[in-house]
Amino acid sequence: MAPARLFHFRVAQWAGWAVLCFLYGPIVVLIVLSFNGGDSALSGWSGGSLRWYRAVATDHDMLHATGVSLVVACVATSLGTVIAGLAALGTSGVRFRAQGAVEVMIGLPLIVPDIVAAISMLLLFVAIRLPLGLISLMLAHTVFAIPIAYLPIRARLQGLDPSLSEAASDLGARPVTSFRRVLLPLLWPGIASGAMLAFVGSLGDVVVSYFVSGPGSTTLPVYVFSMVRMGVTPEVNAISSLLVVLSAVLLGSSYVFGRRDQ
Amino acid sequence: MKRVQPRLLLVSPAMVVLVGLLVAPLGIMAFVSTLQRGEDGGVLWAQHTAEAYVQFIYERDLFNNLAVNTDYLRIFLRSFTLAAATAILTLLLALPTTLWMAFQPARRRALLLMVVTVPFWTNLLVRNYAWILLLRNGGVIDRGLHAVGFAHASINVLYTPAATLIGLVYSFLPYMVLPIYVSMEKIDRRLIECAYDLGAGQLRVIRRIILPLSMPGIVGGLILVFVPCLGAFVSPDLLGGGKSMMIGSLIQEQFGDARNWPFGAALAFTLFAMILVALWLHHLLFRRGLEARP
Amino acid sequence: MLCQGLSKSFGAVVALDDVSLTIEPNEFFTLLGPSGCGKTTLLRAIAGFVGLDRGSISVHGQGVDGLAPHRRPVNTVFQSYAIFPHMTAAENIAFGLEMDRWPKRRVAARVAEMLDLVQLSGLGDRRPAQLSGGQQQRVAVARALAKNPRVLLLDEPLSALDQKLRVGMQLELKRLQRETGITFIFVTHDQREALTMSDRVAVMNAGAILQIGSPQDIYERPTARFVADFIGETNFLLAEAVGGNRYRLASGVTLEAAEPGQEGLSVTLAIRPERARLSATGPVTGRVQDIVYEGTDTIFRLVLAGGESVRIRQQNSDGARPRFVIGDMAAVTLPPESVRVLTA
Repeated sequence: MAPARLFHFRVAQWAGWAVLCFLYGPIVVLIVLSFNGGDSALSGWSGGSLRWYRAVATDHDMLHATGVSLVVACVATSLGTVIAGLAALGTSGVRFRAQGAVEVMIGLPLIVPDIVAAISMLLLFVAIRLPLGLISLMLAHTVFAIPIAYLPIRARLQGLDPSLSEAASDLGARPVTSFRRVLLPLLWPGIASGAMLAFVGSLGDVVVSYFVSGPGSTTLPVYVFSMVRMGVTPEVNAISSLLVVLSAVLLGSSYVFGRRDQ
Repeated sequence: MKRVQPRLLLVSPAMVVLVGLLVAPLGIMAFVSTLQRGEDGGVLWAQHTAEAYVQFIYERDLFNNLAVNTDYLRIFLRSFTLAAATAILTLLLALPTTLWMAFQPARRRALLLMVVTVPFWTNLLVRNYAWILLLRNGGVIDRGLHAVGFAHASINVLYTPAATLIGLVYSFLPYMVLPIYVSMEKIDRRLIECAYDLGAGQLRVIRRIILPLSMPGIVGGLILVFVPCLGAFVSPDLLGGGKSMMIGSLIQEQFGDARNWPFGAALAFTLFAMILVALWLHHLLFRRGLEARP
Repeated sequence: MLCQGLSKSFGAVVALDDVSLTIEPNEFFTLLGPSGCGKTTLLRAIAGFVGLDRGSISVHGQGVDGLAPHRRPVNTVFQSYAIFPHMTAAENIAFGLEMDRWPKRRVAARVAEMLDLVQLSGLGDRRPAQLSGGQQQRVAVARALAKNPRVLLLDEPLSALDQKLRVGMQLELKRLQRETGITFIFVTHDQREALTMSDRVAVMNAGAILQIGSPQDIYERPTARFVADFIGETNFLLAEAVGGNRYRLASGVTLEAAEPGQEGLSVTLAIRPERARLSATGPVTGRVQDIVYEGTDTIFRLVLAGGESVRIRQQNSDGARPRFVIGDMAAVTLPPESVRVLTA
């Protein structure tokens, strides 16, 4: 094994750190500024304060939007994860003829640019006369949750010894029992990880929600979007910071789940 | 034979959802682009016309004559330029980063991957908004300049195409990093050791071994950035101030104020067709699935 | 166990080609052959993981065709052990019993009994990750034996173990088979393993069974060229029958073999290197081409007048001083009863 030095590309290391700063700089600035007690976002630093966080907590429209986002995310994640789990089970093992096509299909939401997907779903809902609202949001978010949850579950499944299910069967377990007592417990970290990722993805979605939500069912990101377009208020700083922290926490959990049992 | 059926059953919910909510709607979208626009927005479902596609290049004057309209072409051109610039800039930023990440010891690699991905999962909106704070007049960067002595200076970047570009690069950087990282990480370390053994210096090893072997990831990243970038509308909207419109903002407008759904659908469909072509070319070039294993 | 006319193809590949065999109760039966010969497919067909195109299998008189694996009275020890990583050793062993709805007390007692049997008492509460490879393997065996199946199937269970452990486990498995009286069907590609452990061996190649017999039968009296070649080392000499038990080699020399052959028939004579005797003079002469010293034995390779190569294995019982050097002329004696006649 060569010494690590050989893989230590000097120029790469500086650039790497610089890019990390570039990625996190604006976020850090955002979080710091959210504690700015000043009246408007234009004024300078006027002492740390939780004022804008309090404002967020009392903004009814924003709270309503948060509720919508959470409900949609929960439903879409649950549905999406279950469907993705079933699909992962179906595509594991011996390859069948249509498998390539199935996998492309499952990955399709990730390939299609979000605006294209958003428009097509909007047109679908109009065509079938479904009023835009919670239902349309849940349907749209579920579509995106599927490939996101699918990947970690599939990865976990592939890492398992294929003989395990056979062993359970050999010892007398009926297929359902084999699934429940052998496969499911072993798959669980992948499922949890996938669900977390899908949840974060749903909470963070802007483009699709923008087109597919209706009056009274605005999601949080869309609500913030309209706020920002109207002008920069410090409240936006606060809610944005909260969203960032939440995403980071969920993502961290997903990562932890994914690495357990290794 | 009887083992195949249960598996088909397992994938069917996913297939039903995806076909019903994505594939079919894409078809509907293509269909709508051939329809005539309705009076107050919406479409007339039974009336077909190629008007939407005509609109790309021509406009009709009051006498129904066609005259070449370069507005939309200019938007297309600007979008292509910005998307290309974004792709190139993200590539330049991603290459050294992935070089650094991919050759770390295994544990650190996973951690770094997560660290790089976190901003990606954060709301697109939040990420662009943070740049507003930084770039606008009186914003953080300006204040920073004041603090170090450039009083009254201002970078005056917000609401220009440059700001849009910054926003796009920031939004799409993870899309470039991930595929290149995946490609690079799979390179057999022994090939690199062998190159060193044969006398190559660091730069040459990078240039002649690592980069060529990462090509599938690089090309994949370019596609993954370029095409969606064409359809971006959050960055141009928030950071470009609506003055540097891109295809994405144009599409959004059709479903908003302009109330020209067929045209919007046509634009979206064209965008989608381009991505299919690009992916098919990528598949032809590299003949591997989306998850190739050595 | 009775297997009749089993055939299975995967697409264009024929895995099993009209295979039939009968296995006696309380027998240690081995399926031996190179990779891809169909032995694992046969085992899996018996277990129920592979569906057959043609043929039928019955265990103790009961047909098992069409039965799902969980309904067959056979249990399997997998090559990768397939121990459930999220359960302790005891829970693993108990699994099959729980599937049969045994009352808790009986389960506990049986688990203890099994742990004892494989000499893992006291380690029942350990997880697989905390057990060594050899211990994991014993858990796999205990788990499969817990239900007292009619037949135990073992799919190359020792291939992942290092040499020393392997030899130890071979003895273990032999002992277990004798103690429990359960029929063991053992799959391996290692011919030494097959010879040391089995009551009977079936040599397979390309989806067909070439020969079934006791280890001695297989080794001393191979009936097919593949069997003679696969097991141990063999010298092959092309010859023509010249009446009675005599055969003529290409060089013109006549040999006597163990069996008579129809005059004029072309055959292959097979003789094991350790049966050939090297001497200074004799009827069959050749030039010494190679000498390989192996510690316990020395192997001489002689090239005969007709161009054939004969390898002779001699035990170094009188010190390491070879009486021949490369280039010498020497002679080889081939005792007739050790010269087998093969037509295939």
